[in-house]
Amino acid sequence: MTKLIQVVDSLLKWFLAGLMGGIVLVVCWQVVSRYILNAPSSITEELSRTFLIWIGMVGAAFAYRTGVHLGLDIVTQKFPPAIQRRLALVLTASVVIFAIAVMVIGGGNLVALTWELNQMSAALGIKMAYIYIAVPLSGVLIAFYGICQLYFMACNKPTPAVEGMH
Amino acid sequence: KPQQEVTTLRLAHALDQEHGVHKAMVLMGERLAHYSNGTMQIEIYSGGQLGNERELVELLQIGSLAMTKVSASSVESFVPQMRVFSVPYIFNDNAHLWQVLNGKTGTELLMALQPARLRGLGYYDAGSRSFYSTNTEINTPADLRGKKFRVLASQTAVRMVEELGGAATPVDWGELYTALQQGVVDGAENNPPSFYLSRHYELSKYYTLDEHTAVPDVLIVSLPVWQDLTPQQQEWLQRAANDSIVYQREAWQQSSDEALAAVKAAGVKVIYPDKQPFRDAVAPFHRSLQQTDIGPLLQQIADIGAQMEAKND
Amino acid sequence: MEMAILVLLLVFFGLLLLNVPISFCIGLATLATMLLSVDFMPAVTTMAQRMAGGINSFALLAIPFFVLSGLIMGRGGIAKRLIECAMALVGMLPGGLALVNVMSCMFFGAISGSAVAATSAIGSFMLPEMKKQGYDVNYSAAVTAAAATTGMLIPPSNILIVYAIASGGVSIAALFIAGYLPGILLGVSLMIVCAGYAKIKGYPVAARLPLKLVVQKVAAALPSLFMIFLVIGGIVSGVFTATEAGAIAVVYSLILAVGIYREVNTTELPGILMKAAETTAIVLALIATSSAMSWILSYEQIPQAISAAMLTISENPLLILLMINLILLLVGAFMDMTPAVLIFTPIFLPVAVELGMSPLHFGIMMVLNLSIGLVSPPVGSVLFVSCAIAKTKLEAIIRPLMPLYLAMFVVLMLVTYVPAISEWLPKQFGF
Ligand code: NA
Ligand code: NA
Repeated sequence: MTKLIQVVDSLLKWFLAGLMGGIVLVVCWQVVSRYILNAPSSITEELSRTFLIWIGMVGAAFAYRTGVHLGLDIVTQKFPPAIQRRLALVLTASVVIFAIAVMVIGGGNLVALTWELNQMSAALGIKMAYIYIAVPLSGVLIAFYGICQLYFMACNKPTPAVEGMH
Repeated sequence: KPQQEVTTLRLAHALDQEHGVHKAMVLMGERLAHYSNGTMQIEIYSGGQLGNERELVELLQIGSLAMTKVSASSVESFVPQMRVFSVPYIFNDNAHLWQVLNGKTGTELLMALQPARLRGLGYYDAGSRSFYSTNTEINTPADLRGKKFRVLASQTAVRMVEELGGAATPVDWGELYTALQQGVVDGAENNPPSFYLSRHYELSKYYTLDEHTAVPDVLIVSLPVWQDLTPQQQEWLQRAANDSIVYQREAWQQSSDEALAAVKAAGVKVIYPDKQPFRDAVAPFHRSLQQTDIGPLLQQIADIGAQMEAKND
Repeated sequence: MEMAILVLLLVFFGLLLLNVPISFCIGLATLATMLLSVDFMPAVTTMAQRMAGGINSFALLAIPFFVLSGLIMGRGGIAKRLIECAMALVGMLPGGLALVNVMSCMFFGAISGSAVAATSAIGSFMLPEMKKQGYDVNYSAAVTAAAATTGMLIPPSNILIVYAIASGGVSIAALFIAGYLPGILLGVSLMIVCAGYAKIKGYPVAARLPLKLVVQKVAAALPSLFMIFLVIGGIVSGVFTATEAGAIAVVYSLILAVGIYREVNTTELPGILMKAAETTAIVLALIATSSAMSWILSYEQIPQAISAAMLTISENPLLILLMINLILLLVGAFMDMTPAVLIFTPIFLPVAVELGMSPLHFGIMMVLNLSIGLVSPPVGSVLFVSCAIAKTKLEAIIRPLMPLYLAMFVVLMLVTYVPAISEWLPKQFGF
């Protein structure tokens, strides 16, 4: 299981770095093509928004993994450790429920709907489903990390940390 | 006596409440309540609070929203045939446009929405789109050359400006005012009420009424919602929609005239160009579309125009 | 509708107090509320669509860009040069180093979009330096935290971009220009407090540097300060939009850090990109789930109900604005800035507009207000970062923060009741 987590971590990190580099290049090209070449690109605007959706969704899964999403621990830190541990199980489960209900099922249905009804993006002319698929993908990743975390909690082992972050 | 249940249809659009279209929708709600003896009502969400036009159509497909009004260009992504309206100069004049919309072609296009889980109730007038520019006077297509014009992010719209000689620049509607002000783009194109209500006339000194495209608005209801209504309820809704369409067309003409008067009063030079050079410029574009999926549709529209001209002669 | 409000609040605050990440609190509260009036499948599908739709916005691209350029500047020797420049300019005044700290934060804020970035970049240089000269560690941490908030108003600013989105179309360029005066006003008031405090405590005053050295230090910082002109100049002259300016800032900071100062190695870049993606995603996840929440709020017509209720309490605009400010200060105490802006803009903006306030002015007021929240307990990201760098406790830095809070509150009242502070400068640029 630890091995699997590490493989997914590493894939995610490089994918995100690639998207981040890509989005800078796309918008720079937008400025260059319009201001210097006087031949504005018609796809950079939509392409960069698509990258942003992917960074936001897939990155949210990664941020969940590294534990940097903002939370409020002023109440829970006062509880005894045994209760804190049990609460952590419930809360991880609630995150998994959200990821599965809204992101995997809702997002999956959205992808299926836009695929089946063949909705195309305006500028790139690709299926909207390719843009929306970031949502269920992120849901699957969050659910995966959440379930791993539940597993390690149940075994009373620490969840392995992400290599090379923090 | 059991209390009668009221059917509420939620309708969302992206315009503000001052817009004539919103008022026409309010009228539709009143008429629907009247025809149905208060058993049906329409709740209107304005100003894009539930999403932009493309997203609103999607919500109809998802089933969390009953009705919307969107530009035919926003329906292109769902129903490719709707692209025809973004092709410049396919209509001879306004009468030709409405002959098409109210005739067999218009009905067929509304029916083409069905496979996308949508039902078209009719067309609202959205006038004709024309160029406006910050610094250059546009009299002929040659004046567009090398100038950056903001277009809708649609392939047909991009092609349209390029065929006329301009540099098509997709800019987000929200960023457009600043883009015009700072000179990121040299101009944009829209109908008179939008030119006025967006306050782009404060920055654009020239408005050239070349009227290159006439893209109507489409009033749409979600197909599952429509199918849940009884035939009687469907008839009431269609009748209310028809009433609002009649009202909206009059209101549109009035607000269009008022908008033109207002921008003139604000110092905008309104130019009435000779349209023939513009039509000539897009002739190759029309020819290149003959072999595509919208070729037959364009031919139909051209035939209707030819018949009308023959009758007038 | 009352039921919807109740469920939304209960689920949201319940989960929040139990330490569920805020994005998921918002998401789950939205889901529970939506299921009251929409069937399961359309409800979750609509939520998924709103989440993607909420971040499908070109203007939001500026956030990853300014986060990325902030990271590069922090690691690339740019912060260090800005501090040396500030030292040469104000180091010899009473409380010199505290003033240097504030000014450096303002400089750094003027080229980066995030207060946390300013706190960590400036704090890690300034705090050891201030300690060496005999400044109290807690006081130094308090000054850094308060000063870092100036960067929220001084452009570029990610939170102003978030506000522009939430308000439904206030011009980002106009907001950026509107932020200068309030931001500088805030910085100057903090500097006045620092100088007064130093006089009382008898903090050392640095020797005046020879003019030649001053010129040298300022000159060394010029390439970094040039970023301000590049970003704002490029926007004002129409070379690029406010959003595109972010990408240009990334490229420029890369050229400085990798090419000219040579303090960042190209092999470090993938790590920096990952870190930037992670930080960006936290903000985007909040925006995504908040968009779903604001959809259900609109669907249930809750903002209209709240604003109507507020307007029935009093007809006096001065009083209602004070009330809005107090509510926001309370919100800011518990909630981070981004979710607060996303949730409360649609609720309070219509009230403010009804009272005759411009959306531009309201945005500056709201961001300034919530900036105080960044440094107010119990939850404040800037406060946390500053404590972490100073290796001190949260409780310890509250006392020295008191006079700084007061200065911030005075500026907040000025900005609230004097529209010209926010509106005069943008008017000069034709907005
Ligand atoms: Na800033
Ligand atoms: Na706080």
